[in-house]
Amino acid sequence: MSEVQRRKYSQEEKTAIFDGEFMPHIDSMYNFAFRLTFDEDDAKDLVQDTYMKAFRFINSFEQGTNAKAWLFRILKNSFINEYRKKSKQPAKVDYQEVETFYNSDDVDYQSTTDLRAESVKDMLGDEISNALNALAVDFRTVIILADLEGFTYEEMAKILDIPIGTVRSRLHRARNLLKEKLRGYAQTMGYKTDEEEE
Amino acid sequence: MENNELSSNTRKLECSDVSKCFQLLESILDGDMGEEGKDVLKEKLAKCQPCFEHYHLEQAIREVLKNKCTKQPCPEKLADSIRQMIQEIK
Repeated sequence: MSEVQRRKYSQEEKTAIFDGEFMPHIDSMYNFAFRLTFDEDDAKDLVQDTYMKAFRFINSFEQGTNAKAWLFRILKNSFINEYRKKSKQPAKVDYQEVETFYNSDDVDYQSTTDLRAESVKDMLGDEISNALNALAVDFRTVIILADLEGFTYEEMAKILDIPIGTVRSRLHRARNLLKEKLRGYAQTMGYKTDEEEE
Repeated sequence: MENNELSSNTRKLECSDVSKCFQLLESILDGDMGEEGKDVLKEKLAKCQPCFEHYHLEQAIREVLKNKCTKQPCPEKLADSIRQMIQEIK
């Protein structure tokens, strides 16, 4: 992911890299963009901009390195620089975050102990998706990168320009907040949240 | 899980350092601990009930996230319009 221009690719090489290494990630890129913007048109623009930049700066992509991580880094930077300001959701999301925080006795461990693996497995896609979408953008992002896209801590550190230790702690906090939201759904939907067999 | 048959009364019911243990389990699940992680995991799951439950909960959450949150369909025309824009700036 070095910004150093190592060499110049020929026009044919550029096309080969673009089609062979960049385009196959378009579904993941769109999913990420949509979960950042919550808007189909914004997500399309964001993915399009990312691919345009990727092509323009293709000489700084080192062949054989992780193209997906390289693309995700461009997308995330484009989002921060150009889309975050006009995103339609932040006020609402921030409010929900605060609300969850104050309505629970302890955000860390205790309040999530009664959420069961079985209840989580029974949840519908919409409930899982809504819980994820309700997280503040920084927390949502690390969950998407780690759990939806399978990036390693090291790759995430590069994509987000933060130290690995920060990746680890942010992810831990994000997971606690997500469990908190899932527990809320589990209770609302009447899933079992207590230990019954003991 | 292969450890499911173990009855829970062979495990301790209180975890002495929940916060540290859980963060460790999460790192192992994320594949950040390599081979060393597998041994630590085996021991924790065999000996500690809260760790056992937390591990399965975390694993379930990862599975549903992966299976239920990656299906946002990418608009069909998006790839075509990107290819077209690239043709124009070549």
